[in-house]
Amino acid sequence: MLARVLLALSLVPALALALCQPDGQDAYKVRLSIKTALGANAYEWNESEQFLFRATLAFAMRKYTGQETFNVSSVIVCNETPRVSFWFVVTNPNDTTTLIPKNGVEEAIRLSRNRINSAFLLSDKTLQFVGIPPTLAPPSQPSLPVWLIVFGVVMGIVTAGILALIISGFIQRKKKEKTIEDEEEKQERIMENGISFETLEGKDGVNNGAYSHDEDRLTQL
Amino acid sequence: MVEESRPSWENPMQFVLACVSYAVGLGNVWRFPYLCQMHGGGGFLIPYLIMLVVEGLPLFYLELAIGQHMRQGSIGAWSAINPYMGGVGIASVVVSIFLVVYYNVINAWAFWYLFHSFQGTLPWAECPLSSNFTTYVPECEKSSSTDYFWYRETLNISSSIEDHGGIQMGQALCLVLSWMVVYLCVLRGTESTGKVVYFTATFPYLVMIIYLIRGVTLHGALNGLKYMFTPKLSDLAEPKAWIDAATQILFSLGLGCGSLIAFASYNHHNNNFEKQAIVVSLINSATSIFASVVTFSIYGFKATFNYESCLDRTLQSFWIFLKRVMSAGSLQFNIDSYFSIQNTVQTEWTVFNTFFLKMQLLLINTFDLAEDSIKRDNLDDWISHLNASFPDKFATISSQIEVCDLESELDTAVEGTGLAFIVYSEAIKNMGLSQLWSVLYFSMLLMLGIGSMLGNVAAIITPLRDFAFLTRHFQKETLIGMMCLFCCLVGLSFTTRSGNYWFTIFNDYAATFSLLFIVLIEIITVCYVYGLKKFEKDIEVMIGHRPHWYWKIVWSVISPVLIIGLFIFYIADYIMGGTPTYQAWDSNLGKTVTKEHPPFAQAVIGLLLVTSMMCVPLAALVTFIKKKKEQARERKISTTAS
Repeated sequence: MLARVLLALSLVPALALALCQPDGQDAYKVRLSIKTALGANAYEWNESEQFLFRATLAFAMRKYTGQETFNVSSVIVCNETPRVSFWFVVTNPNDTTTLIPKNGVEEAIRLSRNRINSAFLLSDKTLQFVGIPPTLAPPSQPSLPVWLIVFGVVMGIVTAGILALIISGFIQRKKKEKTIEDEEEKQERIMENGISFETLEGKDGVNNGAYSHDEDRLTQL
Repeated sequence: MVEESRPSWENPMQFVLACVSYAVGLGNVWRFPYLCQMHGGGGFLIPYLIMLVVEGLPLFYLELAIGQHMRQGSIGAWSAINPYMGGVGIASVVVSIFLVVYYNVINAWAFWYLFHSFQGTLPWAECPLSSNFTTYVPECEKSSSTDYFWYRETLNISSSIEDHGGIQMGQALCLVLSWMVVYLCVLRGTESTGKVVYFTATFPYLVMIIYLIRGVTLHGALNGLKYMFTPKLSDLAEPKAWIDAATQILFSLGLGCGSLIAFASYNHHNNNFEKQAIVVSLINSATSIFASVVTFSIYGFKATFNYESCLDRTLQSFWIFLKRVMSAGSLQFNIDSYFSIQNTVQTEWTVFNTFFLKMQLLLINTFDLAEDSIKRDNLDDWISHLNASFPDKFATISSQIEVCDLESELDTAVEGTGLAFIVYSEAIKNMGLSQLWSVLYFSMLLMLGIGSMLGNVAAIITPLRDFAFLTRHFQKETLIGMMCLFCCLVGLSFTTRSGNYWFTIFNDYAATFSLLFIVLIEIITVCYVYGLKKFEKDIEVMIGHRPHWYWKIVWSVISPVLIIGLFIFYIADYIMGGTPTYQAWDSNLGKTVTKEHPPFAQAVIGLLLVTSMMCVPLAALVTFIKKKKEQARERKISTTAS
C-alpha cells in the first residue's frame, strides 16, 4: 500500500514534468529581469516567488475563462535557470492530463498582463513572456486633431485680411468716385461757350476790364 | 474722365526684394544641392558660375530692360516689340498658368507639415500602432516613419497613376488656404505685394542662418560637408554637368515666365536695373551655395545618425573595437587593453559602452545566464567560454552583423519633394527641440514657395490687366479673385490619391522645355527682329549709358548658341529616353517601384510641351491674317474713294 502510494506520489511530479516540456506546443517561456528593473531593491527569486507566479497565472486563467476551478496546481513550471527564466504549462482543471491550448493561455495573460506585472513590481519589458508581444502604449489622441485648430486660426486670419483689404479698397474707390463726380459737376456749371473755366471756383464769370464802364460814367471835359 | 496711372513700387528696394523673393525659391534648396552631389561636389561650382555669367545674368538683364521700357506685361511688351511676336507673351502666360496650378500644391504640403509640427511628438517620428496595439503598421515598418507619414498620411498615395482615388480633404483644405494667402498678397497689386516681399525675401535667410549654426554643430555634420566639398573634378568632363548647370541657372532665375517683365513694368523709367540685375542674380546663386552648405550638414548628421544606429543594432562596433585592439598590438583579446586605449578612441568607446549592455543582454538571454553574471571585466572570458562550449548557438548570434556603411548613407542623393519632406523631416525628428526646428523649417519653405508664387501670379495678372476690355468690365480684386479661384479648382486634381504622380509630370514637363523655347525666341527677337542697336538706344534712354560690349556679344551670339545646344540635347534625350516612367509607391513593399506612364498620361505630357510653344506661331499667323484683312480693306476704301 505504502509502496503504491509512494509510486503514485512520485509519478505525479513525473507526469507533471512530462507535461511541461521546453519548446512544447502549449508551453510558454518566461523571462524575468529583476535586477535590471529594481537594482538595489531586487528580491531573491525562490520557491515562494515561484508559488506567487503560479498563483497569479491561475488567477489570470480564472479571470479569462470565468471558471473558478483553476488552482496553483494547474500551472506547472519546469526548466528553471539562474537567468530567472523558466517554462510553464497550464493544465485543464477538469482533466489534469490535457493542457490548455496556447492561444487560450495567451489571451488570459494579455487580459491580466498589468496585474501579473504589478504582482512582481515589473513591467512588460522586464517580465517577458517569450512569444507574447508587449502591448505598446497607444499615442494619446486629442478629440480634435491639433492641426485643424492651427489651420482654423490661420484660415481665420487670412480671411479677415482679405475681407479687410477688399472692403477698404471698395470704400476708397467709392470716395474717389465721389470726388470725381463733384469735380465733374463743378466743371459742367462753369462751362461757357464750350470752354470750361477750371480755374474758377463756380463764380459768375471773369471781370473783363474792357467792358467795364464804371470809370466813364462821368465824362471828362 | 480721370485716367489711372500705372501703379509702381514705393521704392526701388521693393522691386529688388520682389525679384529676390521670386528667384530664390525651392529650387535653390532642393535642386542645387542635389546637382552638386551628382556632379562632383565643389567642382560643380565651376560650370555653375560660368553659366551664370554667360547665360543667366545677360538674360535677366534683358528681361528687366524689356519690362521697364515697355511698361506693360509680357503680352503687351512683346506685341510692342514686334506685332508678330505677341505670341511669346501669350506663351509665357500659358506656362505661368501651368506653373501656378501645380506649384501651389507644394505650399499646401508645407502648410500641412507646419500645422502638424504643433504636437508633443512629431507625427512622423513614430510609426502608428496596428489595431491590436501589439505591432506597428506593416507598411510603416517596412519603410520608415517619415516615408509612411509622407506617402500614407499626407498624400494617401495610390499604387499607380491610373488609380485616381478621391480628393484628400486635408490636402484640399491646405490648398485652398494657400490660394487664399496668395490672393491676400496680390489683390492690391504692387501696394500689397511690395509690402509682403519685405518678409518673404528676408525670413528664409534668417531661418537658413539659424539652421546653418545648428547644422554645423550637429554631430556628424562635418562628414556631410567633407563629402560635398571634396571636388571630384573628373565629373566635369561629363557634358551632363554643364547641361545641368545651364538649365539650373535658367530655371532658378525664373526666366521666360514673364514675371520679371511684369515686375519691371512697375518701375520708374529711369530705374537703374543694370545694377539691380547683377545684384539679384548674384544673391540667387549665393543663396544656392549657402543652402547646400546647410543641406549637406543636415545630410551628414542624418547619415551619421543612421550609421551609428546601425552600429548600435548590430554587434559590429564590438568587432571594430576588437580589430582596433588587435591592431594596436595586443594579440590577446584582453579587457585591460580596452581601458588602456579608452582615451584615444572616445567615439568608439561611447558606442561600445552603450553597446556592451546590448551584448550582455543578448548573451544572458541566449544562454540563460544570471543577470549580473557578465560584467565588463569578465566579458572576454564569457565570450571565449561560450564560443567554445556552445559554438552553434554562438554562431547564431554572431550572424547578426549587418554591414553598416557611412558612405552608402551619404550616397543617397535626393532632390525635390523627397528631400524637402522626407529627408529633412527625418533629420529634424532626431534633433533636440524638434518641434521648433520643424516649425522654422516649414515656415521657411512656405516663404520661399509663396515668394515664387507672387512672381508667377504677377506674370499672369499684369498682362491681363493691360487689356482695357478686362479692366473696364472687372474690378482688379474680382479679376484676380476669379483667376485664383480657377487655378485653385484645377489644382484640386493634385490633391487626389494619384495627385503626386500628376504633380511630378507637371514638375518635369510643364515649365522646362517650353521655357527654353520661349527664352530662345525672346533673345532672337530682341537681337535680330527688333534690332540690337534700337535696344541699346532704349537702354541708354533709361539708365544713361549704353550696355557694355560684353552684354551685346553674349546676347547676340553666345546665349543663343548655348540655348540651341540645350534645346537639341533635350529633344535628343526625350526621343532616346523611350517611354517616360515614374516612381510609384508600393505599399506592400514599402518602397517606390518604376512604372511606365499609360497612354493618357503621355498624351498630357505631349500637350504640356506643345501648348505653350504653339502660341508663338499661332499668334504670328493670326496677326498676319489680321494685317492682310486690314490691307485688303484699305485698298478697297482707297479704290472706291478714288
